[in-house]
Amino acid sequence: MAALMQNEAFQVALWAMVKVGIILGVMLGVVSYLIYAERKICGHIQARTGPNRVGPLGLLQPIADVGKLLFKEEFIPAGANKVVFHIAPILAVFPAIVTFSVIPMGPAPMFVVTDINVGLLLFLAMSSLGVYAITLGGWSSNNKYALLGGLRSSAQMISYELALGLSTIPVLLRSGTLSLSGIVDSQAGNLKAFGTTLPLPNWGIFHWYLVLPFFIFLICSFAETNRAPFDLPEAEGELVAGFHTEYSSMKWALFFLGEYMNMIVICSIMVTLYLGGWHGPGVDKFAPLGLVWFLTKLFALLFFFIWVRWTYPRLRYDQLMGFGWKVLLPASIVNVVIAAVWLYWRANA
Amino acid sequence: MLAYLPVLLFVLVGLGFGAVTIGLSTIIVPRRENAVKNSAYECGVEPVGNARGRFSVKFYLVAVLFILFDIEAVFLYPWAVSFHQLGLYGLIEMVLFILILLAGYFYLLKKRALEWE
Amino acid sequence: MSIVPQPTFLALDWWALGPVLALTAGTILLLLLEFLPQRANGNRGGIVSLLTFLASGYAVWRVAGEKRELFGGMFVHDPMTVFFTLLFCAVGVLATLMSWDYLKRTKINQAEYYALLLSSVLGMVVMAASNDLVTVFLGLELMSLALYVMVGFRRSQLESNEASLKYFLLGAFASGFLLYGIALLYGATGSSNLAMIGAFLADTPLATNPMLLMGSLLVFVGFAFKVAAAPFHMWTPDVYEGAPTSVTGFMSAGAKAAGFAALLRVALRALGPVMVDWTQLLAVIAFLTMTVGNVTALLQGNLKRMLAYSSIAHAGYILVAVAAGGPEGASAAVFYLATYSFMNIGAFAVLTMLGKGREERVLMSDLAGLGFREPLLGLALTAFMLSLAGIPPMAGFMGKLYIFGEAVKHPQLLWVVVAGVLNSVVSVYYYLRVTVSLYMKEPEGEPVGISWGAPAVLAIVITLAATLWFGLQAQGLWIQAQNSVMGLL
Repeated sequence: MAALMQNEAFQVALWAMVKVGIILGVMLGVVSYLIYAERKICGHIQARTGPNRVGPLGLLQPIADVGKLLFKEEFIPAGANKVVFHIAPILAVFPAIVTFSVIPMGPAPMFVVTDINVGLLLFLAMSSLGVYAITLGGWSSNNKYALLGGLRSSAQMISYELALGLSTIPVLLRSGTLSLSGIVDSQAGNLKAFGTTLPLPNWGIFHWYLVLPFFIFLICSFAETNRAPFDLPEAEGELVAGFHTEYSSMKWALFFLGEYMNMIVICSIMVTLYLGGWHGPGVDKFAPLGLVWFLTKLFALLFFFIWVRWTYPRLRYDQLMGFGWKVLLPASIVNVVIAAVWLYWRANA
Repeated sequence: MLAYLPVLLFVLVGLGFGAVTIGLSTIIVPRRENAVKNSAYECGVEPVGNARGRFSVKFYLVAVLFILFDIEAVFLYPWAVSFHQLGLYGLIEMVLFILILLAGYFYLLKKRALEWE
Repeated sequence: MSIVPQPTFLALDWWALGPVLALTAGTILLLLLEFLPQRANGNRGGIVSLLTFLASGYAVWRVAGEKRELFGGMFVHDPMTVFFTLLFCAVGVLATLMSWDYLKRTKINQAEYYALLLSSVLGMVVMAASNDLVTVFLGLELMSLALYVMVGFRRSQLESNEASLKYFLLGAFASGFLLYGIALLYGATGSSNLAMIGAFLADTPLATNPMLLMGSLLVFVGFAFKVAAAPFHMWTPDVYEGAPTSVTGFMSAGAKAAGFAALLRVALRALGPVMVDWTQLLAVIAFLTMTVGNVTALLQGNLKRMLAYSSIAHAGYILVAVAAGGPEGASAAVFYLATYSFMNIGAFAVLTMLGKGREERVLMSDLAGLGFREPLLGLALTAFMLSLAGIPPMAGFMGKLYIFGEAVKHPQLLWVVVAGVLNSVVSVYYYLRVTVSLYMKEPEGEPVGISWGAPAVLAIVITLAATLWFGLQAQGLWIQAQNSVMGLL
């Protein structure tokens, strides 16, 4: 037993298990209350109060929802491909959970699960996997709405994934590493420009060539997470609930969970790449403050996501694809070239 | 390689979480099936035809174009990471590469491959 | 500043890379020219591709005597590269000329055609110039992918679509074989560079290593598919028949030459020690290939199909030269490829002119009486058929003479030489059937219309001149062929 405790691999695994437990637990809680927040914010935006019956201020509403979903009757449409039908919801939550293993939520080693040197690639790979859940879910349901919703959604996601991937390239040009911790480290300190140190943090977004990528990434995140104004796959007016039309009970809940988890993941990545990660005043004196800063930025972005959803109308499908392919993609490619030329010039001039 | 061990654990947990949830729900959830309930949902109307019909070839086109530009992005990552080591040669090579791809992109635009309608 | 060494290019390197650069630039230019409006009768695609081929040919000819290794030895500029690049440029020019009016009259005149033509020739150049299995594969794919599309260019014709799909599916399999073979060769020898593999095999004889044997066999299968050698020839007739005639002419010459160029380079530089043990196997394949091609060609009523089987047969003759091995055998193969390219393209150039508008009259019966109505055209077609049959004083005769002359020096190949000569005799029958149709048959029904066009006529004149010249004055080309192989070693 003692020998086992000494084993490095075992220690790593043990710590990872502890952290995965904490992350999963916290994430489930956050997701429940994110849904609550969404409904509450939506209510206030629409001059209502939102949920307010279950518990004080309706705070117990998420728990009631989960309980309801657990005991809901479930049915699988005749003619559905049973195996794929069951696999799809698992794939919906899986990528989000895996991506969380590489996100630095505070100074290492306490708030970092692991720091692999291809962290960003892992995120991109996992976000690509998200398409499978939706396509397979839509295809296996044996339902026309589901199939069309799934197809639309996968076409949309892969289209926006291009611009999303390309908008991270300038960040890499600056940091020179794919490790997310490395990228956060490259944003430490204060911004140096015009030969002086400015009273601004050295976050990605404060470098002019990263402003456009940040906004492209933000817009693509809406599309990647299938949120309004890009929630075409589930356009109620035409496709009922899109790819999850035929899903009910816990399987539906998993899709829902996956969507919100993906939202959290993509916002965390955005914080990491462009908003300085866990950097903020006072972190060097008291490390746990890093987590506070990270969560503050994360929740600000999440609030922004919700805000946008209840403010903007949905795009038409051709507008959506056109915007992705004809505006975001060329803009991000051109930005890569400009950023590269500028960085080369600055390094050698 | 030890850094990847937690990732592997997260993969297992991620798969396990979904599987356990679905497994649990199959046990506790009530099931009262009947033919109508199990039929595909088409706004209450009797389902017409097969759901797995043919769909627009546009989706295939988008998939192919995605592969094309995604490969481009894949080439850009290693270049971006070692950008400062590659120097001017790397910069010129990559700018040329991007220009060639942009030429292809403009060709697509011209051929209206990106239009939906 | 930068840790990675920055490569430098000599002026010589730029000229040596000229064909690659020019063909790439031409392809992109053609695609971008789509943005500008074009006159209804204009043919800027053809003009751009002609200029590109001429520029490529000039660039490589300028530094013809030099030898350079580029990109870390992956791309070599040596006499063989020069020889084949010039051949491919000539094939490209001829293909452009014969496509000129053919595309217009069959209403498939789109700039993409010429862009694909350019990128296909680019692939061929890369194949011939590559000194690394990876670049061989790159060139092969570049050539093939463009060809798959070109074969299906008559989009409204069902057989063209079928041909494209067949070629693509089987070609994808063949590419898979080749790639798997490359992987095994790399595993067995530890390098993908041809010279390194050759050096490794010379030091450490591995001839019985199963991984090496399997790898080289799979690589050979990949090439055999591209050059249409039995038993991987099944795609040829359908693809040749379905493709637009100009494309058929182009691929029958270009793709075959490129396949053999890469095969020869791999055989001579890398797998020399293994090939020695393979003589009998290659001889058997050569025998099968020419016999299958010639015997099946006897029964064809469609000229494109007949020429498809004849191209299989010619692959068989060239394989005899490959089986003979060594620089001499390779020179014979190179010589044959050059002459075959000209005479075959000439035959197809004549075929492109048969028929009016969108129709394609390539049946044996369509030729009936043509020799008297169009004496010059009939004479040209007869000349190409005689050359393909290997009758003096045509180039085809000299090609066969060199091949069989080399092969007969190896006693163990005597049987395949005898078979080859007998095969040539068989082939005379179906080549002469064309002549018989031209001059001795009465036309039935509506006589076939001829779509005259100056570019196609020019192509026929060039190929005819080359066919006669290489037949009468073969020495010059033979020395060039020998130089190209000698320079390689």
